[in-house]
Amino acid sequence: MSGTHQVYPTVPEPVIQPLPPPPPPATPRVLPAPSPVSGPRSAEDISGGAVSSLMKQARAYMGAKQPDRAAGVLERALRIEPRNYFVWSALGQAYLGQQNYAQAESMAAKSNALSHGNLYVSLENWKTIAAARQASGDKAGAQEAQATADAIQARLSAAAGG
Amino acid sequence: MASFSRKLGLLLVSALVLLLSVGGVLLAAYLIKLDGQIRQRFAGARWALPAQVYAAPQELYAGLGLSAAELAHELDRLGYRQDAELPAAGTYRLAGQRLEVQLRGFAFWDGAQAPQKLSISFTGNSLSSVRDGDSGQERDIVRLDPMLIGSIYPKQGEDRVLIKLSDLPALVPKGLVAVEDHDFYSHAGVSIKAILRASFANLRAGHVVQGGSTITQQLIKNFFLSSSQTWDRKINEALMAVLLESHYSKDEILEAYLNEVHLGQDGNRAVHGFGLGAQFYFNKPLSELRPHEVALLVGLVKGASYYNPRRNPQRALDRRNVVLGVFRDEGLLNEQEYRESLAMPLGVVGGRGGGVERYPAFVELVKRQLEQQYKDEDLTNEGLRIFTTLDPHAQEVLETHVLDVLPQLEKARRIKPGLLQASGVITSADRGEVLALVGGRDLRYPGFNRALDSRRSIGSLAKPFVYLTALQQPERYNLETVLPDEPIEVRQAGAALWAPRNYDKQLHGPQHLYMALAQSLNLPTVHLGLELGPAAVLKTMQSAGYSGDAKALPSIFLGAVDASPLEVAQMYGTLAAGGFQAPPSAIREVQTKEGQPLKRFPLQVRQTLPEGPIYLLTWALQKVMQLGTGRAAYSLLPADTVVAGKSGTTDDYRDSWFAGFGADRVTVIWVGRDDNQSTGLSGSAGALPIWARVMRDLHVRSIDPVPPAGVEEVLIEPASGLRADEHCGNAFSVPYLGDSAPQEWAPCTGQNPLSAPLKWLRDIFGN
Repeated sequence: MSGTHQVYPTVPEPVIQPLPPPPPPATPRVLPAPSPVSGPRSAEDISGGAVSSLMKQARAYMGAKQPDRAAGVLERALRIEPRNYFVWSALGQAYLGQQNYAQAESMAAKSNALSHGNLYVSLENWKTIAAARQASGDKAGAQEAQATADAIQARLSAAAGG
Repeated sequence: MASFSRKLGLLLVSALVLLLSVGGVLLAAYLIKLDGQIRQRFAGARWALPAQVYAAPQELYAGLGLSAAELAHELDRLGYRQDAELPAAGTYRLAGQRLEVQLRGFAFWDGAQAPQKLSISFTGNSLSSVRDGDSGQERDIVRLDPMLIGSIYPKQGEDRVLIKLSDLPALVPKGLVAVEDHDFYSHAGVSIKAILRASFANLRAGHVVQGGSTITQQLIKNFFLSSSQTWDRKINEALMAVLLESHYSKDEILEAYLNEVHLGQDGNRAVHGFGLGAQFYFNKPLSELRPHEVALLVGLVKGASYYNPRRNPQRALDRRNVVLGVFRDEGLLNEQEYRESLAMPLGVVGGRGGGVERYPAFVELVKRQLEQQYKDEDLTNEGLRIFTTLDPHAQEVLETHVLDVLPQLEKARRIKPGLLQASGVITSADRGEVLALVGGRDLRYPGFNRALDSRRSIGSLAKPFVYLTALQQPERYNLETVLPDEPIEVRQAGAALWAPRNYDKQLHGPQHLYMALAQSLNLPTVHLGLELGPAAVLKTMQSAGYSGDAKALPSIFLGAVDASPLEVAQMYGTLAAGGFQAPPSAIREVQTKEGQPLKRFPLQVRQTLPEGPIYLLTWALQKVMQLGTGRAAYSLLPADTVVAGKSGTTDDYRDSWFAGFGADRVTVIWVGRDDNQSTGLSGSAGALPIWARVMRDLHVRSIDPVPPAGVEEVLIEPASGLRADEHCGNAFSVPYLGDSAPQEWAPCTGQNPLSAPLKWLRDIFGN
């Protein structure tokens, strides 16, 4: 069956506003696949001043073994930049510090989903996932995650060496 | 005889001494008992302190999309006032693209922020820099103090915000003493002078016009006794006042009085103390009140109901001016201050509920989430400070448009004014934070909360979950899959024959999957759903966050599923967040009344649906907005804003829904009638106009156009559904999962060997 790709008249329903002409269909921007070694390396590369400042605070709290406070500050950063994958990644580490392993893994996965293949942040996320699985007794899962982390590390090292 | 009478006298004296001794012992015992009561009442916590509920604080940082006028508006709502001199905390000065503010200090969960002067610059509609007002040094990020939006007090209960005498401007205690108990600092709890003066005045008037009670006696009366005017109560009051004075300093007694006194009533809620009084009438801390405002509160002590400034403004103004006169006579105000204060209006904010009880529907959600973790008494007694996710700006936008659009709909449709109801929820997609919530048209009435408790059929809002179930099987379905738009009859054991039809009762011929969703066609959806099976579709809904008890029947494809607007927001939030589900949360942190961190409610997310299929579905939901039932939204939204959404209409037009999202805001609107009768409004006609206005005013950000790993964007030639290239005139890009995109090239392309002659001709003559 071949598709007839015309726009059918819509279900007639009275609306308050007169109907506007439909906007031109948005053409999705097709981005080139990220090259393995390009891309931002740290939060400061993609964050505004406010989020950078909060990330700094969060690192200080992590250093002071106060992961709960770090998580609070990172959530504040996410309200400003909700799709900043470095912040999600750091939040995964903060949860790891609080021994909340399920959430640590979820946050790392969320960061991976948003990272558009950024290897630097993926490496950190897979390390978090490996540690979270190890600590919660999932040895096989931990090994799998560690293998992924190792593979990413190898690609980064090869690229750096080349 | 003489000796007899002497004996009798001796006997009488002995009896009297005995009597007096016994009486003395009894009196002493009684006094000891009263003394115990007083000490017990004054030791430890004197009041049950309701939890205080705060909105999320406004963050200020360079790059924030906030204009100078919008910031000034936020400051006004926080009770800041414009004053070019910037004399104290709680004042600001606006000049063009620059706003200077004396920020209040505040004990946030993660540390205190000191009061400070800031200088904030703007470029157009965004904030360009935040600087220290004195040193000029740039600040990365600063928070405004959060808005107090409510409190959790017991039923029929007292509400108060505790204050310390040492934190108050001197006019408050001095003014109160001058008006209520001039000799407070010199009497011993009871003032004979005041009693004589009052008795004389009362005798002259023939009835009670003046009380002779001291502040200490009034405090005793409020703490221990009823307000009945009997002699034994009066005597008890006097005895206890003297005892209280023997144990506690004048300042301690005055501070207790300032916190105890009744200053107003708001339905079941009794407003006690000057701390809450300042918030309730003036929407700002007591420390920021000006003389005419202090005078109003002091005047209310005489009779909060009689002098209620909202109900009896003239009477309240007269009383205030009398009090101002006393302030002047006592030297607390000079002549000029007195004149200026007299010229001021009452300055009372808000209508019913005043400044504090702003968002009862949202506070109800907060209360329910807290009740899972805290006992009722902890919430009403311990003075907890609850920091919530409420975004006052988003809440204002949602309220404004619910209130504006409903009367327009009623007028246009000749519906009886006031008959339509509506509710709405705004959440942050990736985190599930509830930013705004409206439970019905009467925004300040804490009644039936439709956003939480009204479970209505969701109609076509269910359809995306049918399509998402299909898109999770890329080997069988993609966005270009053609679905039949043909009549169908479903027979089920024990149920009537089900023969759904399209809303327009028409057949439209075969439809591409995305277009069937964009046009919200019923028949292609049912055909697709039956291929997938109701159990699989129900499972997808549950993975998105549906928690109701709908049965896995074919009718769920068209929305025979009941859910509250909040639950729909959760389901659509999972779509907006790329398959990561976050439970709707209204609370961020809880502090003790001393400002110590007690508990944080951390962000929780869990991936429950795969991101690739969700990306495809979101693409189709964008088509709903561009070509389908949501397109009227673009009469309000900028044409280049990419949003995704879906309308929902139920049988006989009983429920009108619209749910959708941009990059980080999910908004769900329901319009209908409480008696569940038809409104004649489809989702596009009733809920969409509110939804579109809300999204416009939130300046919603466009959906991220970057496909996740495993998704390929392919140019497609519409007529054939095959791959296109730059030679095809009306080709457009469609996302596919994995390698499910068509491999064949359309005739219009230069790729197809068969079309080589065509290409040759085209190269010669152009397109």
